[in-house]
Amino acid sequence: MSKRRNWFCGSEEHRISRRGFLGTAAATAGSMSALNLLREPALAAELKKQDKRVILLWLAGGASQLETWDPKPRRPTGGPFAAIPTSVPGIHISELMPKMARCMDDTAIIRSLNTKDGSHGGAARMMHLGRRDEATVQFPDLGAVLARELGSRDSKVPDNVSFYTATEGRGNAVGQAGFLGARYLPMSLTTNSRPEDLARLESISDLEHKQRHELRELLSNRFIEYRHSNSLRSHNEAYSRVRGLMSSDKLFDISEEPQSIRERYGPSLFAEQCLIARRLVEAGTPFVKVSRAWWDSHGQNFETHLELVSELDHVMSVLLDDLKQRGLLENTMVVTLSEFGRTPQINASLGRDHFASAWSCTLSGCGIKGGMVYGATDEDGQTVKDGEIDAGDLFATIYMALGIDPHSEYYVGSRPIPLVHEEASAVTEVLA
Amino acid sequence: MTADPNNLKVIKEISRRDILFSVATLNESEVLVGSSDSNVHRMNAQDEKAEVSELSGHTSYVTGLELVGDQLVSGAYDGKLKWWDLEKKAEIRSIDAHSKWIRRIELSHNGKFLATVSDDMVCRVWDATNGNVVHELKGHQTTTPNNFPSMLYCCAFSQDDRFLATSDRVGHVVIWDLHSGKEVRTIETPDMYTWDPKARIHSIGGVRSLAFSPDSKQLVVGGMGHVGNIDHLGGKSLVEIFNWEKGERLHQLADDSYKGLVERLVFHPSGKWFIAAGGDHAGFVKCINADTGETIRDSKTSTHIHDIRLKDQQGKLITVGHGKIVLWQL
Repeated sequence: MSKRRNWFCGSEEHRISRRGFLGTAAATAGSMSALNLLREPALAAELKKQDKRVILLWLAGGASQLETWDPKPRRPTGGPFAAIPTSVPGIHISELMPKMARCMDDTAIIRSLNTKDGSHGGAARMMHLGRRDEATVQFPDLGAVLARELGSRDSKVPDNVSFYTATEGRGNAVGQAGFLGARYLPMSLTTNSRPEDLARLESISDLEHKQRHELRELLSNRFIEYRHSNSLRSHNEAYSRVRGLMSSDKLFDISEEPQSIRERYGPSLFAEQCLIARRLVEAGTPFVKVSRAWWDSHGQNFETHLELVSELDHVMSVLLDDLKQRGLLENTMVVTLSEFGRTPQINASLGRDHFASAWSCTLSGCGIKGGMVYGATDEDGQTVKDGEIDAGDLFATIYMALGIDPHSEYYVGSRPIPLVHEEASAVTEVLA
Repeated sequence: MTADPNNLKVIKEISRRDILFSVATLNESEVLVGSSDSNVHRMNAQDEKAEVSELSGHTSYVTGLELVGDQLVSGAYDGKLKWWDLEKKAEIRSIDAHSKWIRRIELSHNGKFLATVSDDMVCRVWDATNGNVVHELKGHQTTTPNNFPSMLYCCAFSQDDRFLATSDRVGHVVIWDLHSGKEVRTIETPDMYTWDPKARIHSIGGVRSLAFSPDSKQLVVGGMGHVGNIDHLGGKSLVEIFNWEKGERLHQLADDSYKGLVERLVFHPSGKWFIAAGGDHAGFVKCINADTGETIRDSKTSTHIHDIRLKDQQGKLITVGHGKIVLWQL
């Protein structure tokens, strides 16, 4: 595969001026000739990225591909659930997902992940990063990259939000900005669906708060004027966003949604957080991860999935429908992903164990050719028989669908680092 | 010769590739087993080779088998009840009995009625000979308190066939008057259900087995105690004995030695003791004194047990489960 060098040199100055230019360009897009801008391929690519968002439904603990996207009915490994037809002729999914079956048109199922790592910790990190950290390099995760690539500098909303309010598996799925710096770390919600301490203290007036902010900014800018520290810049950027983030507090408040919408999503925590995710992407947040733990069904796999897949089916279908009705699905990708799948072999506790050799994920919406299946497993789901991909290939596909060249490079010092590992290539078959 | 719990020992094990969810016994040597391969297998369990013949027609796990005269009735996760002619190996009747999994079928002691329970949360009582519905019993919530689908696991007739007990995922037990089809008593067994609201945000457990004592005064309830890590069946096997008419729990038997679900409970006709069987990854059979709640005799098995049949006059017990049929002497 050819590796193309990105036009963007990676320097801080270049990035700032690029964002500044694009901000101006976007603001004046109505009056400027789009053709003039599109003559420059790099700028066209940049514009294409504007307003793209991603909601990652992180199915922590390892959802079973056999009870979701890759059923094997009537096989010894298939379990008790039937497969049902979907709105797309020829595609069948588990009977636990009747609502998704009715709205497969916008979703591509990938049934051919072979990621080799069957440990929660290592696999979860890999499926967040698209590869493994090196001894000397910590890579940014998907959320950090997308916050950087899709976010805007002066946004008043957070550009990377992560919900993980269960405790199991949370340590495996923490945000990692790596060499991109703290600026791109997620706003992590781990105890509540609303950020704590985001509201202004009642003892301080809005004017006082604004004046304090301006004073801090003045002093801070003087301090870093003759210093060259990414860390300082990173913290300054974070501070500069405080007032904007404070004003986004209401995005986390679903009581602002009509009752009918809240009822459509349903009462579960996962449902409420997905509704908040919709509010966030609607307001411009480029990346939201909603983590649903815990799918680790070593015992009673079928009953665990009866609970959790039923919830996923409802919430995911409502989310896609809601995004579509609002005209957001065209620019918003919804991803369902775990650290791995579950064994075809049914153990003596009617459970399934960890399995990374042949499992599934889905991509819906933005940049994705819906109503299709990519890849295939054998009749018992033991191996990938067609279209095997790894985490890097999946990430390359996501980036490509969002208009981001997966082989564009960041620089750590003088070392160029592509967004995905060097052998990775996008699954072009699922790209719209 | 009648069964004596003190004699409990394994006399034969037959390994299988499938998971066996139900068993019925035709005579001293022939058994019928309901399988994960969607078939009912008829086999001679005494023969070394144990040759197998099949009755096929279901499309999911076969979870209940009952003999009605010379016919076999099977129930499965496909929601269907099927009547079979065993001589001709032919299906006589098939009924779409439930919209979701049939978890258990039970034949009344007089042989006239079949009860089925399903995850559609309805218990139906059928005329066992013609398949007509006699009662439709709705007394269990369709969702758990945390808004997830509930499950209706089991049912049991009282010895005099006046009452039928049903039980669900959250530990709610209903005793029905079979004549009127009305609820006469409910019992709560909250220790049988674990909801993990923080670490994993889902549940495990439920009442998996029920049995009335021969005098119909006691109701024994089986499941699993509270679990810390609900990824596994890591809870103590749990049996609770009730004077159900008073709603009074007489004993709670949480066994430190055996983990997992109590899948089946069967009283000895004397009423003095009963058998509890089930398991986690491995399995167990326990014989328990019905008055004191003390274990008389117990034994580990290599795999989880899903169903049992006690042949009292022969002093035999047959257990089936994950990849195994086991014949026991009592």
